[in-house]
Amino acid sequence: MNHEKIVEEKLQDEQLRKNLYSAMHTLQTNRENLIKNKYINWEELREKGKQVKENTLNTLDQRLEEFEKNATKNGIQVHWASTPEEANKIIFDIAKEKNVGKILKGKSMASEEIHMNAYMKKHGIEAVETDLGELIIQLIDEPPVHIVVPAIHKNRYEVGDIFHEKLGAKKESDPEKLNEIARNHLREEFKILKMGISGANFAISSEGAIWLIENEGNGRMCTTYPDIHVAICGIEKLVETFDDAVVLDTLLVPSATGQAVTNYNNIITGPRQEGQKDGPKEVHVVLLDNHRSRILAHEEYNEALRCIRCGACMNYCPVYEKIGGHAYQATYPGPIGEVISPQLFGMDKHGDVLSFCSLCNRCSEVCPVKIPLAEFIRKLRRDKMGEGANPPIGSEKVQHSKQEKKAFEGFRFVTTNPQFFHLGIKAGALGMPLIAPFADKLPVLKNWVKHRSTPKLDSSLHAKVKKLEGVIYE
Amino acid sequence: MKKRVYFFATCLGNAIYADTSINAIKLLQREGLEVVFKKGQTCCGQPSYNTGYFEETKKVALYNMDLFNEDIPVILPSGSCSGMMSHDYVELFKGTEHEERAIAFSKRVYDLSEYLDQHLHVNYEDKGEKVKITWHSNCHALRIQKCITSSKNLLRQLSNVELVELEHEHECCGFGGTFSVKESDISNAMAQKKIEDIKNQNVEYIISGDGGCLMNISGVMEKNGEDVKSMHLYDFLHKRINGEAL
Repeated sequence: MNHEKIVEEKLQDEQLRKNLYSAMHTLQTNRENLIKNKYINWEELREKGKQVKENTLNTLDQRLEEFEKNATKNGIQVHWASTPEEANKIIFDIAKEKNVGKILKGKSMASEEIHMNAYMKKHGIEAVETDLGELIIQLIDEPPVHIVVPAIHKNRYEVGDIFHEKLGAKKESDPEKLNEIARNHLREEFKILKMGISGANFAISSEGAIWLIENEGNGRMCTTYPDIHVAICGIEKLVETFDDAVVLDTLLVPSATGQAVTNYNNIITGPRQEGQKDGPKEVHVVLLDNHRSRILAHEEYNEALRCIRCGACMNYCPVYEKIGGHAYQATYPGPIGEVISPQLFGMDKHGDVLSFCSLCNRCSEVCPVKIPLAEFIRKLRRDKMGEGANPPIGSEKVQHSKQEKKAFEGFRFVTTNPQFFHLGIKAGALGMPLIAPFADKLPVLKNWVKHRSTPKLDSSLHAKVKKLEGVIYE
Repeated sequence: MKKRVYFFATCLGNAIYADTSINAIKLLQREGLEVVFKKGQTCCGQPSYNTGYFEETKKVALYNMDLFNEDIPVILPSGSCSGMMSHDYVELFKGTEHEERAIAFSKRVYDLSEYLDQHLHVNYEDKGEKVKITWHSNCHALRIQKCITSSKNLLRQLSNVELVELEHEHECCGFGGTFSVKESDISNAMAQKKIEDIKNQNVEYIISGDGGCLMNISGVMEKNGEDVKSMHLYDFLHKRINGEAL
């Protein structure tokens, strides 16, 4: 959908605005209270988290090889996928070989990124979401609105309506009752489960293990109950040791939901061993690149790969809270989405989201691994208008506004030629009363006066300074 | 000999807030400083920088470093503009021939409130009537220039002023320079939330140390027809310590 149109639609959606306002402020408060009351030195931990990720990213090629070696030793089958198509094909082939017609999924943003559900559907396999939030939005055929809480834009009454309409359940709004409906529905699905899909929060190279965190237990069901478990893992999820993963986990959970620890921590070190009575018989890990190595090689933006997908940047983003994640029209919304979407999916397709930022820097302030998100957004604006030395893919296809370029050349001209700067202010001060009645028709100014009174220019400063005793006016 | 300082009113100080700039200069003179006002002063370059026009911005930054070339403090009545000149100029010239110069220059740049509070250790006697106010923190002043504590320290010296803090003080008011015209509807949604918060505090005045935010907040409040009045920090301080009516 057109950028302006979707913004207008979201801003006018009173229910969405209300739900987001309440949810984002609750997440903020929970995070702040936890950090204040339970952490001795959060800032030091952020620095440590940053270091852990930097160390891994600096040696990512070695970590990946080490992971493959150790995971293979543990009996995990490791696959490499450069593109979404390759990743989907790998997963599809595994399902096809085992004659699986339905797969169940734990929450995974990487699977959203490669549009796995759509791919499987196209090829005759049904993919069913088991995360409560994901289940809700799958029932109404919507993408996640948020990377951690995918149905946060729906309140409990709306969820009750969805379950009533799509699952034939009795109309409920009590969270416990709603959980019960979802649980009963999913238990039926789990009974026939043969193949489960998950993401990965951390892939530990020295152990060849993956670590998944979740709150509902559905993720554990998807990874332990079926015969086949496939984890999709972006290559930036690698860390070297369990100690490294612990640092990141300790940052991730409070930042995401304001909890100290998630209800479930699933550390998977391989398939069922001989003599063991449960666990999957096959474990696969699909290591997904999809332009991550390009970000890694970029000297300005490689820090963006430190992201541990906690969602704190969107929880604190004043723009995200007003329009919600769907307005970004990409898998990853909010500030981190503005930074990685143009790089993962193309500036021509997703460069529009770069205007969703007032550069307030709150995202950079809360990011647990200290990604300078706001600075990156500004630099990506530079790339988008054609000045960057190494812009994201698709930048060459972006149409530039000649009018805007001329306007900023003009800005530079008057700000480096003070006589014209003063002339401009004088003319503006004199002319403003004359143009004020037409302000809603003039470019730029019309956008200002749509919601605000017309600014009153005052060109008297220099005359007043000259009269002021003791000031050196030179 | 009096200590010399540059006063850079910023583009908004030059074009809209003339009286605020005069009051700001008087606050410096009151502390015995000799204020140098460069008549060639224009703008710090934020509009083009934040929109992504880095090359044009570099020219503006170089112009300013040439203009304020004497080795004395450059003082601005705006946390966002001082943040631009003390932090972003360094970012802008990183890895270029001007990097060292930008670093040296950045160390001479101050927000007026931090200069008054941290360097001059001013003492203010409040001569005004009792009044209840709230405060809006500009995002760059808060997170880049980090001068909000100083701004509030100055306000807290005023014995007849009750400062009530906003519930969501750390949220952007929606100005964001060109953001306010590029995404004017989102900007308005943000401003309306800010104004809701301001109104909830039952105060007479909303005070801020940044012309951009103030222009945005007061512009929307005026269009809405709100009763709360807005005032720039330096107008407020000057009037209070001189016993002038607000």
